[in-house]
Amino acid sequence: MYRKFLTMAAGALVLGAASMSSAEAAGKNICVSWKTFQEERWKTDEAAIKAVVEAAGNKYASADAQGSAAKQQADIEGLITQGCNVILVVAFDSDAILPAFQAAADAGVKMISYDVLVEHPDALYVTFDNVGVGRLMAQTMLEKGKAEGDFAFIKGDKGDPNATFLFQGIMEVLKPNMDAGKIKNVCETFTDGWKPDAAQKNMEQCLTSVNNKVDAVISQNDGMAGGVVAALEAQGLAGTVPVTGQDGDKAALNRVATGTQLVSVWKDSRVLGQKAAEFANMIADGKALTEIPGVIKFSGGAKGVEVNAVLIPPNPITKANLGDVITAGWVTKEEVCAGAAADVEACK
Amino acid sequence: MAAVDNTQNPAMAQEGALTRFMRATEIDPRMLGMVGALLIIWIGFDIFSSFLRGGEALFGGSFLTPRNLWILLVQTSSIAVMTTGMVLIIVMRHIDLSVGSILGFTAVCIGTMQVYWLAPALGVGHPAIWIITLALGLALGAAIGAFHGTLIAYFGIPSFIVTLGGLIVWRGAAWSVIRGETVAPMDRNFKLIGGGISGTTPGSIGATASWILGLVICAAIVWLIFHGRKQRKRFNFGLRPMWAEYFLAIAGCLVVLGITWIVNSYYWPKGVVDRWAQATGVTIPPEGLNIAFGYSIPVLIALFVGIAMTFLANRTRLGRYIYAIGGNPEAAELAGINTKKITVIVFALMGMLAAISASISSARLDSATNALGQFDELYVIAAAVIGGTSLAGGLGTIYGAMLGALVMQSLQSGMTLLNFESATKDIVVGCVLVFAVWIDQVYRRRVK
Repeated sequence: MYRKFLTMAAGALVLGAASMSSAEAAGKNICVSWKTFQEERWKTDEAAIKAVVEAAGNKYASADAQGSAAKQQADIEGLITQGCNVILVVAFDSDAILPAFQAAADAGVKMISYDVLVEHPDALYVTFDNVGVGRLMAQTMLEKGKAEGDFAFIKGDKGDPNATFLFQGIMEVLKPNMDAGKIKNVCETFTDGWKPDAAQKNMEQCLTSVNNKVDAVISQNDGMAGGVVAALEAQGLAGTVPVTGQDGDKAALNRVATGTQLVSVWKDSRVLGQKAAEFANMIADGKALTEIPGVIKFSGGAKGVEVNAVLIPPNPITKANLGDVITAGWVTKEEVCAGAAADVEACK
Repeated sequence: MAAVDNTQNPAMAQEGALTRFMRATEIDPRMLGMVGALLIIWIGFDIFSSFLRGGEALFGGSFLTPRNLWILLVQTSSIAVMTTGMVLIIVMRHIDLSVGSILGFTAVCIGTMQVYWLAPALGVGHPAIWIITLALGLALGAAIGAFHGTLIAYFGIPSFIVTLGGLIVWRGAAWSVIRGETVAPMDRNFKLIGGGISGTTPGSIGATASWILGLVICAAIVWLIFHGRKQRKRFNFGLRPMWAEYFLAIAGCLVVLGITWIVNSYYWPKGVVDRWAQATGVTIPPEGLNIAFGYSIPVLIALFVGIAMTFLANRTRLGRYIYAIGGNPEAAELAGINTKKITVIVFALMGMLAAISASISSARLDSATNALGQFDELYVIAAAVIGGTSLAGGLGTIYGAMLGALVMQSLQSGMTLLNFESATKDIVVGCVLVFAVWIDQVYRRRVK
């Protein structure tokens, strides 16, 4: 009952917006269907998308599905009626949203699945290269951390496919050295809910089991890296054992500056939003999906459907390029540089 | 001797030696069972790990090393602190599902106060920071608990619902305080509460203080036994035979001194010694420097909480009332006990204990995140239940629940040490929970 009411209310709102926008139609309409606006990060994405869309003289409209697959479907139907030329969708449920994608395709509206893969052959998939994050972690470890020795792997939650994707990417890069016997996998463990305190316990047990003989730690995100560093510090090893991570957490970037974490692979959602909005503008102007710069064929989803995709490489933040996060306005210099090591250029 | 000697009771003449021993020493068989289970788990893990990697522990593995046992105690402390309160809640026929979320929320608030308010205002590392934040944190936890208690007692909403709501609300509130960011690093004095090393200051009390503490506890055990015997004589109660008194005193002291010896056999890791030597200008002899950790601060906190809560449960009017309410709420109310007020007090106490755990967890992690303490409510309840607390109310002991927490953490740490898959860990821990309760039921039925 409640959901029905929400859907109706949303429909009414969308219809109202539709009559408004068609009255003053100028340029193309680029629309976004968000899965939920409760997470802060989507606001960052929205600002980036809006700026690019409006700079090109197009119009921006959006709908928030509030974490409901049913509402998102109604949202998209509403956006089609509203006369959107291109709809970016952050899918809440990538299977349940397929009928809405088909309806859009039938109505001649172009779709972009943003950040979350929707396996529809007519949609463009724009996301960060997630397997690439794993590869980047491993590469940075080989180039700037340790290229041989005893490695510990602190993986994310066992129920999250991302943990497995990341691990695939990591192993791809490390495999030659592992086969040559240079790198030994001494601990490998999943971490419930990606929790930092669980990662700390896992790392403590790992260090106990091999009597501190760990040369490098591949942690799959920054939160867990925090737990790993706390465990290393209790053994006086923090700073000598390189640790990886991702997300560009403030605390993690500070650890990069102080030298207890080697790298935080940073997925700047502003870059993602900006790129996706540029593509949306191009598609609205009639460009074919296959002509988008950097487009590839991607079929790594659960169903193996081949879609056009642009995979944007993330930025591995180490001591050397810590300035990137500061100049981008992601964090302030004071936040990152508290207690920084002397050799960090960005903190001078 | 004027007092009655238990062993002279004719009805006990045909009893087996073990039963007679148990009766004479008045040891709770369930506790003995749990200690036995714990030893089996520990030895099992040690033998198992000796096959995998080998090590220098008792049975050739890596589990029964001073280092692992020291870390095990630290890892248990946060859950152990909370489970002491959960026992009283369950005894009163209530439940608190919100402890993990209260932990997360108070941790995030403590972190925010330290990093964003007090450190800029008073200067980083100011000695008052940890005291202020700890006090405010505990007050906050108690206030949240009291709020839950009020809703339960005076508004008549079932505790399951109130705290289920709290589970969701406080986790959301924890996210809102810092918008999902991680607050780090914590104040350097506060950090010691977690037992980790802050610079060159370890969060533990060192060898000498640990031995002194061990001896003090020994003396306390002897005094308690002596004093107890005197009191029993005074009121003409049944006495334990002298050999049983000696046995209890010696066994208790041996356990305490044994644990002290273990925590004093875990030495500072080389990296920390080097850093310390550098900071203090001490030259390290070529054979290395062995500085013992001793009892860590979180373990001492848990120990203190355990003793205080046991005292509260057994020796105070409040404690008596709690068990009376659990045994029969209507009768307790008719007898003139203000059950509503006591409900509020117990939930406030639980909230405060969650805040203590929040301090331990965030200090240990050296950061506060909104995910801290997630699922802890389940482990806390499971520890209480494994420790013999009856969900029907009226029954449960503090030490049992703390032992239950140690059993759970032993299983988890041990399986991590052996590189078990985390799915296997979940399955084993769940099965052990159900099995432990079943054993307890069987035992209780047989005693009846």
